[in-house]
Amino acid sequence: MPSLRPFFPLHQIKLHSQQKYMEDNNKPHQIHLQILSAAAADAAHADAAHAGSIPDKTAAKKAVSRLDVLTRFHAGYFRISLALCGQALLWKTLSEPTTDARALRPVVRAVPSFAFALLWSLSFLTLATLCVLYAFRCALRFRCVRAELAHHVGMNYLFAPWISWLLLLQSAPRSFPRPSDGCYHFLWLAFSLPIIALDVKIYGQWFTQGKKFLSMVANPASQITVIANLVGARAAAQMGWRETAVCMFAVGMAHYLVLFVTLYQRFLGSNSLPAMLRPVFFLFFAAPSMASLAWDAISSTFDTSCKMFFFLSLFLFASVVSRPALFKRSMRRFSVAWWAYSFPLTALALAATEYAQEVKGEVANALMLVLSILSVVVTLALMVFTAIRTNDLLPQDDPFACFPTVRRQP
Amino acid sequence: MEKKDLQVELGTKECFEEALPPVLKLVSSQTVAGFDCVGYANGKNDQSQTATNYTSQEETLVHEPGTEVADTRGQDIVINLPELSSPIQMANHSRPFSLSFSLPSSPSGLHIGQTKTVIYTDKDKANAANGVSSQPPEQGKYHSQPMPVIEGPRRVPRSDSVRDKRFDPFKTWSGRLERQLSNLRGKPQEVEEEEDLEANSSHGAAQTDAVPAVERYFDALEGPELDTLRATEVSVLPEDKKWPFLLRFPVNAFGICLGVSSQAILWKTLATSPSMTFLRVSPAANLVLWFISLALMGLISLIYSLKVIFYYEAVRREYYHPVRVNFFFAPWIACLFLAMGVPPSVAVNLPAPLWYVLMAPIFCLELKIYGQWMSGGQRRLSKVANPTNHLAIIGNFVGALLGASMGLKEGPIFFFAVGLAHYIVLFVTLYQRLPTNLTLPKELHPVFFLFVAPPSVASMAWAKIQGDFDYGARIAYYIALFLYMSLAVRINFFRGFRFSLAWWAYTFPMTGAAVATIRYSEEVANVFTHALSIGLSAISTFTVTALLVTTIIHAFVLGNLFPNDISIAITQKRPKFSKMLAHLRSSSADMKDLDSSAPRVSQEY
Repeated sequence: MPSLRPFFPLHQIKLHSQQKYMEDNNKPHQIHLQILSAAAADAAHADAAHAGSIPDKTAAKKAVSRLDVLTRFHAGYFRISLALCGQALLWKTLSEPTTDARALRPVVRAVPSFAFALLWSLSFLTLATLCVLYAFRCALRFRCVRAELAHHVGMNYLFAPWISWLLLLQSAPRSFPRPSDGCYHFLWLAFSLPIIALDVKIYGQWFTQGKKFLSMVANPASQITVIANLVGARAAAQMGWRETAVCMFAVGMAHYLVLFVTLYQRFLGSNSLPAMLRPVFFLFFAAPSMASLAWDAISSTFDTSCKMFFFLSLFLFASVVSRPALFKRSMRRFSVAWWAYSFPLTALALAATEYAQEVKGEVANALMLVLSILSVVVTLALMVFTAIRTNDLLPQDDPFACFPTVRRQP
Repeated sequence: MEKKDLQVELGTKECFEEALPPVLKLVSSQTVAGFDCVGYANGKNDQSQTATNYTSQEETLVHEPGTEVADTRGQDIVINLPELSSPIQMANHSRPFSLSFSLPSSPSGLHIGQTKTVIYTDKDKANAANGVSSQPPEQGKYHSQPMPVIEGPRRVPRSDSVRDKRFDPFKTWSGRLERQLSNLRGKPQEVEEEEDLEANSSHGAAQTDAVPAVERYFDALEGPELDTLRATEVSVLPEDKKWPFLLRFPVNAFGICLGVSSQAILWKTLATSPSMTFLRVSPAANLVLWFISLALMGLISLIYSLKVIFYYEAVRREYYHPVRVNFFFAPWIACLFLAMGVPPSVAVNLPAPLWYVLMAPIFCLELKIYGQWMSGGQRRLSKVANPTNHLAIIGNFVGALLGASMGLKEGPIFFFAVGLAHYIVLFVTLYQRLPTNLTLPKELHPVFFLFVAPPSVASMAWAKIQGDFDYGARIAYYIALFLYMSLAVRINFFRGFRFSLAWWAYTFPMTGAAVATIRYSEEVANVFTHALSIGLSAISTFTVTALLVTTIIHAFVLGNLFPNDISIAITQKRPKFSKMLAHLRSSSADMKDLDSSAPRVSQEY
């Protein structure tokens, strides 16, 4: 089992943070010291903590609360950017002239073009903010980042920023550089090289490193690694770099095969994922959808293999959706895990769009319509939920927030 | 205790010399007015040891609603004892004497012995008394409490018109459906059956409300088909009596349809395939076989639907059995085979909606079963994987083949994709033979032939989808051939197994391989492929014939084609030690069997 050192019993953490805000005694100062990062090199914060007077206390509280955000922020928050960038790509694909849905076209035409630009800008801003926050976290809380890399669920979300950047690149509006430009190639390289580096690290761990064998660490979130490869392959194929695309596709598919079998066997039972993260099960049908899209881009037609991947993801979608009991516990309270519902639905809708472009029939169009509407509705609902319950977004007891070691009082 | 008080109160009415021990239950009856004197003899000493037990059991006795202890004031209290000294009773009625015990539910051997010899239902007395007296029949009455054991008490059936209640927990709604139907048919009402049913159902419900968990199936059963009870287990239903026929009719019987209808497909292919015309096989073979399989399918479906109607609980238990659940795909696959093997003289083009109708049940079953593999904690694949799971996969490929031959395009690809993905998972799991996997037999068993089925049917399906026997189809075909050969060379390890009806289901892979070879020989026509097709067809026909002969022998000569279906009658919990001993004694198993087949006994005791 991966090390649980950073993850303290939650009730202790709650106690500490409650005491932190007590007004009238000197204890909060000691607890300030405990909460602050052991690795932090911020003397300013230490000074604020040592200060005993009340005006400094409020400043100290503010500083601590700002840093606290960094402590509780983790790579899982990139689900938001994944969802939004996926939506942007879906909107762009739907508004393409090759989409032949007579039912869909008036809807798409009705939505003014600035709506799409708005969505793209929103995605861009969200992604940029999250990246900046995570950069700060790397700088100031590197120990936390390392712990995240070691955790069997958290490590997969390190791929999420790069997937989001690639999706954003693919869904760029027309004023952006075209896929054949050198600027585009450069950006693709910038976003894919980290994916390849992470691939080498994490896939290598699967079969070489003792504690991190695949049978021990496999969980549904591991499919994000496969999705990263497939997104990179699709982008490369659209750029015209066919061999690179096939290479990344092959790597992704080989590991997807192994992962699919392992996940279905469920060697460890349901211990691999906490109940709060059950929305991640939706990734089961995100991976075959992305595979279908990637092979479609590589082989330039939606041939039988693409159809097979698409149908497999449809079946898995039906299978997951017909088991609502699986998600009951995680739906009790809003959390950032809910954002995991959106991207897989968007991927499925994208694949359905490509399928409908190839197989022009009533059933295919209906499928595309239904899935697209579902994905849009779910994303909108998630945005509304986030706006209403922003506090829940950074909860005190997020299972993957990293808490630094308690420094003993001298 | 209130019983003692009552006895004191009633002392004015009845001539008790001394207070009766509380162990004696108040058994009232609507009997003779003249009965008012009770004596007791040496029954008291025997009963004192059960006195303490009884008092603890007071609350668990099943009383009639409304007939509380206090109400018996207005009724005569009858306590029947052996060797009654008072002559008055002897004179007044010719009722036989009995001693009724109420015993705790965890008997030692002593109590079992006692109850087996002594227990005697009071309902005969009540019946006799009904005939004797003119009391109104609507009085509530007590009964001697049935012994609350897990095994049904070995009662002598009273009369032919009374049903055997031991099988009620397995019937639909615990037998109420059957009673409704017999009421409709005009059979006489038996009032006490209601109360007895309450008693039974309160015990039986505890046993059979929830179906046993998956671990219980693995603990209690052994064998490659999980159909043999371990020597340390007891069955809920009596093992020495032949159960009702419907209860003995397993879902494996649909395997017969699979075997025969796949033969019909083989003979159709032999008659119509362009590469086999030199054999000059007549289409009559296909016609005859097809009608036989149609009739068989109708018959077996009818019987099994009767079982679903009357013995729904038993069907539920079959569904939760880790091996039998796969046979629930068998009826639909057999329907698909029938559609594929339809003779050209009957129908040439089948309507497309028929395919959707046939695939819908398979789709729903698949969603349930594959979803369990993915997310169900107790029934995950690493635990329950067994070769019979191939039956759950093969439906996809057969459906794809049928759909492609009917001219559909997208639907066959859908099922092919789903089947392929899950087949890969199952194939890897079975090849791994994970240590957590409890169901894989250590020795070879005919069930292993199911390994050959998916690749051979997948190759034919892919060939039909693509239009020609391309590389994908050839790869699948060679895999099937390899698996067939690796099983065929080990044929002498397939010995020593008890025949079971499920063996019919293991013949269709051989037939499928033969048909795939014929299809392959259409593409690659040379002497070797022709010889291979003839050889494989001959083997499959010979196997089916041998199986037919064996079935007939077992059905008519030996009479054990449908043995008691032990695998659905396992208990919820492991039986207590004493019961196991009793069971072992009665079944006269060796201690050696106990040692070898009870791995977990020593941990508990």
